[in-house]
Amino acid sequence: MPEEKMVNIYIMNKQYEVPAGVTIMKAMEFAGYQFVRGCGCRGGFCGACGTVYRKPGDFRLRSGLACQLQAEEGMYLAQIPFYPANRSTYDLQELTPELSTILTHYPEVTRCLGCNQCTKICPQGLDVMDYIAAAQRGDVEKAAHMSFDCIMCGLCVSRCPAEIVHYNVGILCRRLYGRHIIPKAEHLAKRVEEIKSGKFDGELNDLMGKSQEELTKIYDDRDMEQ
Amino acid sequence: MAIPYFPGCTLKTKATGLDDSTRATLAALGLEVAELPEWTCCGTVYPLAQDNYMGKVAAARILINASKEDDGRLVTVCSFCYNVLKRVNHAIKNDEETRTKLTQFLEEEYAGETKLVHPLELLRDDVGFDTLQKKVNNKLKGIKVASYYGCMLSRPAAEMQFDEESENPTVMEDLVSAMGAEAVDFKYKTTCCGSYQVMKTYDLVVKKVREILEGAKAKGAQVIITSCPLCQFNLDWIQEKIAEEDSSFDKIPVLYFTQLLGVALDVPVEKLGLEKNYVDPKPLLQG
Amino acid sequence: MVKDGFTSKIKEISEQNPNLCMQCGTCSASCTGIGAMEELPRQVMRLLQLGKDKVLESPSIWMCTTCLTCTARCPRGIDIARVMEALRVVNLRQGNEVLVLEDIPLELLTEVPQMALTSGFRKLSA
Repeated sequence: MPEEKMVNIYIMNKQYEVPAGVTIMKAMEFAGYQFVRGCGCRGGFCGACGTVYRKPGDFRLRSGLACQLQAEEGMYLAQIPFYPANRSTYDLQELTPELSTILTHYPEVTRCLGCNQCTKICPQGLDVMDYIAAAQRGDVEKAAHMSFDCIMCGLCVSRCPAEIVHYNVGILCRRLYGRHIIPKAEHLAKRVEEIKSGKFDGELNDLMGKSQEELTKIYDDRDMEQ
Repeated sequence: MAIPYFPGCTLKTKATGLDDSTRATLAALGLEVAELPEWTCCGTVYPLAQDNYMGKVAAARILINASKEDDGRLVTVCSFCYNVLKRVNHAIKNDEETRTKLTQFLEEEYAGETKLVHPLELLRDDVGFDTLQKKVNNKLKGIKVASYYGCMLSRPAAEMQFDEESENPTVMEDLVSAMGAEAVDFKYKTTCCGSYQVMKTYDLVVKKVREILEGAKAKGAQVIITSCPLCQFNLDWIQEKIAEEDSSFDKIPVLYFTQLLGVALDVPVEKLGLEKNYVDPKPLLQG
Repeated sequence: MVKDGFTSKIKEISEQNPNLCMQCGTCSASCTGIGAMEELPRQVMRLLQLGKDKVLESPSIWMCTTCLTCTARCPRGIDIARVMEALRVVNLRQGNEVLVLEDIPLELLTEVPQMALTSGFRKLSA
């Protein structure tokens, strides 16, 4: 078996030698960390393992998800699994998709300085500053679309000089959009009504009375969509 | 070719009347504007602390994005946006440290090339008031109009270079005359309405608003025009509050200059956003 | 509170020299906010000349609307609005603010154009 290639990384400023090619999360576990928090799906979707790092010779702060990002030689890193964030509570049914709703729940969006640090840090590559700008001018639909891929990791919040909680603004806009802006699916509402009125009761009762063989035959002979 | 246009946040909500009427009147005069593809709040106020660069970043980015369009100009109508964009551009052009700090932070090359223009300047310089005069109807004949510039359009004079005299600009009065209405002069035209103090020292703003309104009415004005959504709000909304406490108070409509121009140019009234005004201007305009 | 050597800090941030002021009072006469001020702008300038740090706690500095009328009219060419801003800024940088977001009445918050919020926060909030 060939000798495993190792790299040096610095976790919270302590040096560790870890196998090359593994993710930050695996590397940390290799180094002896056990995750109780700051780890979730391990598939890049849950947003629990936001991580910031710097590389030698580069002043820029970079970010990624520990479960997705590969450990590289010389990385200085720390996980920021959560950043304190206030969350407004509301009854979505009672809200209207407009600026006053955003200002009622998150008036601090109007403190945005336009520094763009939120966009720079976003591990999802979202235009965070621009969706906050959309929210600030009451464009709920645009904010909802632009923030759609947000995984709520909170790294944007950690960087904001205006102390905005971007991801909560984003999810408020997506909820407002989903509940109040996108057109209702009329065919769905119609079908629900039909079911409620008993239109399919006969067919269902008929199926309930059949034997397993009969059901298998019906299933096998069903119309297949091409 | 369309001129790049920066509407500003308030024009997308509270002041849609200013946005709609600006686009519609400029279009009626053959000037097309195209909204910048992506933009943020400009910052609204120019930071007066020498070491506050962060307050200039958003405006700098907007100016840089505008410079990437072909036209070379950027139109903006809100007085706050106009003021902060023009002052930041001036600082970038004339102060090396500001230029270096902002362009390094934004990782862009820019030295203040964008020419910021206000629609009042477009009307005066590109359309020309003589030409405009030939295009207007006579719906505004006899209506007395007070032009309210507020604090943001012309100060500081050296940086804004808005009109010949910063204490006594006349471009709006010239526009009023070209629209076929009657311009009245009043001494409060460049005083401040109290601005953002509406958030903190409300009584001060009521006092200033009252001075301005009474000053205009004393000169016989039937309507006040402005280009600032915050002046418009303070002068308009606070009248409702004054009237609640003082039943003898005579209200006066406060319009954006572009709304009045729209009436003079026969722009369909639904494109002027008059329904958002607190003091209803329709009786005057249809009278 | 930055009290030691605060006048030099004010001079540095504002890039203005309050000692040029000749106390003519043109700024006070022109000021938008005087109706709500205890110390008028001229008196603020005088307190700075005398190095009185109580000027940092004067409510007057928060009544300014940065309308620049004082700046435009000062016969000594002092940008007085920048001086007032510097007095606010040294407070704000210590976390002393007068516009507290949580205290804004909901009616005002949802009625005003958002430019009033942004400008208010920039000038009056830490």
